[in-house]
Amino acid sequence: MIVVTCPVCGIKGDETDFHYGGQAHVRRPATTDPVNITDEEQRDYLFIRHNPKGLHFERWRCDRGCGKWFHAARDTVTLDFKAFYGITELPPVELQQQAKGPWADYFQSRAKAR
Amino acid sequence: MLEARFETPLANCEAATGTYVSLREIGERGMIDLRGSAGDKKFLAAAKAVLEVDLPKQPRTSATWGDIRVFWLSPDQWLITCPRARAQDLSEALSAELAGVHSLAVNVSDMRAIIRLEGEGVREVVMKGTSIDLTHGDYPPGSVRRMRFAEIAALLHVVEDNVIDIYVFRSYAHYAWEFLRKAARKGSEVRVFPKAV
Amino acid sequence: MTGKPYRLATGGSRIDRTKPITFSFDGRMLPAFAGDTVASAVQASGQRVMGRSYKYHRPRGVIGLGSEEMNALIGVGIGARHEPNLRATQIELYNGMTTVSQNRWPSLNFDIGAINNKLSRFFPGGFYYKTFMWPRSFWKHVYEPVIRHAAGLGKAAEERDPDSYEHMHIHADVVVVGGGIAGLTAAEAAAAGGVRVLLIDENPVLGGIADLTAGKVGEGSVADHARAVAERLAALPNVQILSRTTAVGHFHHNYMMAFERVADHDPSLLANGAPRHRLWKIRAGHIILASGALERPIAFANNDRPGIALASAVRGMVERYGVAPGTNGVVFTNNDDAYLTALALRKAGVNVRVVDSRARPQGDLVKLALAEGIEVSPSSVISKVDGTLNVKSVKIAAYRKGQGRVITERQVDCDFIAMSGGWNPALHLWCHNGGKIRFDDGLASFRPNTHTDAITAVGAANGTMSVAETLTEAVAAGEAAAKSVNAKAKALKAKMPAVEEPSRGALEPLWFAPATGGYNEGNKHFIDYQNDVTAADLELAQREGYESVEHTKRYTTFGMATDQGKTSNLNGLGVLSEATGKSIPEIGVTTFRPPYTPYSFGAIAGSLTKDLFLPVRRTPIFQWHKDKGAVFEPVGQWRRAYTYPTAGEDKHAAIAREILAVRNKVGLLDASTLGKIEIKGPDAAEFLDRMYTNMFSTLKVGKCRYGLMMNELGFLTDDGVTVRLADDHFLMHTTSGGADRIAAWLEEWLQTEWTHYKVFVTPVTEQWAQFAVAGPRAREVLQKLEPDFDMSNEAFPHMSFKVGRLGGYPVRVFRISFSGEMSYEVATPANLGRGLWDAILAAGEEFGIEAYGTEALHVLRAEKGYIVVGDETDGTTTPIDVGLEGLVSKKKADFIGKRSLEQSFLKGPNRKQLVGLLTDDPNEVLPDGAYAVREVKDKPPMDMIGQVTSTYMSPTLGRSIAMALIENGRARMGETISFPLEGGKVVKARIVSPVFYDQDGGRINA
Repeated sequence: MIVVTCPVCGIKGDETDFHYGGQAHVRRPATTDPVNITDEEQRDYLFIRHNPKGLHFERWRCDRGCGKWFHAARDTVTLDFKAFYGITELPPVELQQQAKGPWADYFQSRAKAR
Repeated sequence: MLEARFETPLANCEAATGTYVSLREIGERGMIDLRGSAGDKKFLAAAKAVLEVDLPKQPRTSATWGDIRVFWLSPDQWLITCPRARAQDLSEALSAELAGVHSLAVNVSDMRAIIRLEGEGVREVVMKGTSIDLTHGDYPPGSVRRMRFAEIAALLHVVEDNVIDIYVFRSYAHYAWEFLRKAARKGSEVRVFPKAV
Repeated sequence: MTGKPYRLATGGSRIDRTKPITFSFDGRMLPAFAGDTVASAVQASGQRVMGRSYKYHRPRGVIGLGSEEMNALIGVGIGARHEPNLRATQIELYNGMTTVSQNRWPSLNFDIGAINNKLSRFFPGGFYYKTFMWPRSFWKHVYEPVIRHAAGLGKAAEERDPDSYEHMHIHADVVVVGGGIAGLTAAEAAAAGGVRVLLIDENPVLGGIADLTAGKVGEGSVADHARAVAERLAALPNVQILSRTTAVGHFHHNYMMAFERVADHDPSLLANGAPRHRLWKIRAGHIILASGALERPIAFANNDRPGIALASAVRGMVERYGVAPGTNGVVFTNNDDAYLTALALRKAGVNVRVVDSRARPQGDLVKLALAEGIEVSPSSVISKVDGTLNVKSVKIAAYRKGQGRVITERQVDCDFIAMSGGWNPALHLWCHNGGKIRFDDGLASFRPNTHTDAITAVGAANGTMSVAETLTEAVAAGEAAAKSVNAKAKALKAKMPAVEEPSRGALEPLWFAPATGGYNEGNKHFIDYQNDVTAADLELAQREGYESVEHTKRYTTFGMATDQGKTSNLNGLGVLSEATGKSIPEIGVTTFRPPYTPYSFGAIAGSLTKDLFLPVRRTPIFQWHKDKGAVFEPVGQWRRAYTYPTAGEDKHAAIAREILAVRNKVGLLDASTLGKIEIKGPDAAEFLDRMYTNMFSTLKVGKCRYGLMMNELGFLTDDGVTVRLADDHFLMHTTSGGADRIAAWLEEWLQTEWTHYKVFVTPVTEQWAQFAVAGPRAREVLQKLEPDFDMSNEAFPHMSFKVGRLGGYPVRVFRISFSGEMSYEVATPANLGRGLWDAILAAGEEFGIEAYGTEALHVLRAEKGYIVVGDETDGTTTPIDVGLEGLVSKKKADFIGKRSLEQSFLKGPNRKQLVGLLTDDPNEVLPDGAYAVREVKDKPPMDMIGQVTSTYMSPTLGRSIAMALIENGRARMGETISFPLEGGKVVKARIVSPVFYDQDGGRINA
């Protein structure tokens, strides 16, 4: 039973008060361009997820509290949360820098886009 | 003209006897669910104009003015409780005052049941059903939060140190009532750091 | 000694000799004193055998002192209150308690199953795996019942448990597990920092084994010190102490479960309403593990005979309960600690000698024993025990470390043995959540190493065996723990008193005492008493290739079950080490799993039993349904009325009556469970266009529209009617089961994807009681209730709604239909629901109104070919599959699921499509879920082409109807297909349109 903290309302509680929402920062292609989506893009959007040993970024909802979605950075080995941040935000820069594998690629591509 | 007949959610419940804190249904409160943005000055002003009290902006707090209480539920949601007879008028007044402001006020007076627990050890009775720590100063009178309680969703309002209202959705009222009757059964008293101040 | 052979005339710190009580053991009434345990009182009576072993049915007595006891498992209580498998050493006696021994038949002292022992060479390690393999069919009906009867532990009660149980949550800054000197001291040090300290101890009395520990703290004994600290703690406002409470598991983020035996020791508490057990769910800032250590047995031939116990247990028996283990004993040890037992026995007037495997035992305690005139035999081991129900004599052999066989031995008469192979830190809780451990050569045991959680081990649990070091370590740990949760925490002011304790000689590991003949030659050197695993079994497992310790564990059952290797683990590793030539750390340890000790199912369930087992949701009309004798069905957590049989009417007749009432007159349905969500904002219409497959921005204010929802995979997830209350304001209806899910779904998209949309979503399902008034007379019924709005077909056509008053009730009325009849769904605030329901029934009486339940509802909609999401869909069904392609917008650029629906395989030719079915025999109702096959064969496998999704006897049509998803179904209209059923019967049915009744839809608009 892990402990989750909602960055919106500040409650810190058992994971049963929250809802896990899978990997964070998954882009929905149809929102920006509903016409030109290849089958591969759609496949990646629906099914392809990172499965890192270590730092991971995920979505949670304060299910029994304020009802808001938020992001969390969590170590999948120790289960320690490294940060909780807003649902429209990217993780703190130092965590982006610590990220490995596909996560590192993702944050680099986001940095370039800006 | 025909007369409407009124029945509270716990009208058919078994009386709570043999408990060490008292349990009763509060059927006389009305409720309004209000949505709007805490960052929208027009919204805040309009709400205050009707309610005569500022919407609380601190998470898990409430505000009181006369017979109106406003519970913070989320950054864009509040639950207003008032005497039942006022709920419809108040809800309509809010909607009228908020015309043109992005918001949603709904009279939800019948959506929840309210169970009042009163007496020494009331916080621990609630803690038989929730992992929230109600004994360590984080929940002074006026505190409000939604939570998982036993197996259901509930809203907790600390009215006074030894008075707690539990709000549950109407359909779960009997479940919550029976859970609390059992949790508060005489002989099952349990305290958490009872000597602490 | 007195007339009672084993109760000493004096002594016994735990018992109150002024309070004699009686209890029954296997039907015999036995005397005891208040404060006795079952173990002490039964032993005081002279009875040693307290159970039979698991596999060989060997007689077994008490071995341990507390929760490590693995032999003396006892059943307590009678009838519904009977609980098996309790450790006799932990059961606090009360007057009139009923106890029984287990796993013996017909009696303890004569047990038929003991034949297994004589045949034991046929019961080697892995016996069950090897023997009961074939024939396969024998397992369920022959092998398993016989094995379960012969092996295993006590029997559970068969009646419902009359007692109550509960869960309780608690948060503490520092949780200290164990109330011995380490735990007490750490708790006091932590408490000095002003933080909240929770001390958990499994015993009724705090102090751990301070009373069995040599030395002085300040002016008094170790026990005096423990008592003083316990008293100070009890007075501190920031300390809570839970006694009789076992920390059973440690989990992520310092979550801990503890099992409190609230009323087992005092039935009057139960009578006054106390829960029998309480499960504490604890969240700790920092955990200090002071769970002590467990003494190791020694593996020697017949080391399980009644009368052989751990040295600490023998000491405890004498000092705590004034019970002598016998008159003439042998203490067998490889360390100094057991000399304390020899001294305690001598002091109590019991003859005792010491057999020590070490060549030169020389600590203070050894000297003291020699000074007391106790005979000490160094370089010696017990090579064999004689006697079956009792120890009669032992053979003592000369021993040199590393020697496998006995060269010379002598026989010595004795009637009990106290053994000590050293102490193992109780690592279980340390290891539950992944704590690392390391081997300590000095202890010849594992001790805590690193942990990723905020947890510290102190005292014996940390492998620190001296009192002085324990106190120092505990103070440091307590202060550090307080500081870790509150940086400003103050340190303990009181100065630690001076400690005097005997010097100790080193321990020499002794995993296996040689016997005449090796350990695979007929002698039983028990390693795991509870599972009847011997050293020979472990060696056999090695020889047969089960080299990994985890494989050995599973093959032999060593370290499994309720004991979880408390006493056996290290000895087993020691034997494996000697058998393989690998060091113990190389062999590794098996996984420790929660719980540390077993706890009751009652405590696990807590108060969530019977009516509270699952939340049951009631509609505002629930009481009426109940009074009316409704048959209920679960729909999610709701209980909905399925049908209302009248006296003498069966369910089928009742359902048919209700259906015909709707078709011919008028019916009333409690539809309050339907999901209702208010959606408002300038972007509400556009948002709904994203959520639904069809268009909602074009819906006119005052009108209703049926909508379909898909998930992003393109599969149907929900449907329902949404109405436009105002330009920017909608009320969405969802399925009953989908209400919460869809509300959360809408919120998710608003919060995470279309964050710029100005839309608010408020679920209002429970605000409204909602009823369907359906049937050709529906309008007339509502007219009678004097609506303040125009009910005419022109003013209030199908798919529109009104807000107003009806019979004095504020209502929203939606003219929508799930039955195919003229139908009004009337919603009123829930607290007025019952009143309006009664008013509608009264108004409808003259029109023959009948309440109808969910089964009638389902038949009515099936007659019309309306789908139910979840019946006609299975999570891989698209709108096109169910023939609702017309509701999938071609104009909208994007909506949830649109892109997935364009994937080729969802549009391909061989999709299963929704069709109607008419069986050749109109009285034949196809079973739900029946498969259609391409070609009927004599036996499976047959190529399946689809399945029945809904199937009913239609009273309207006077024949059976069904809906099914069939490969290319719509192209097969008129084709007859086959449904082979169990037993060889084949039902044939013709594919037709799923709309069986009123195909042009005239009735709905009447």
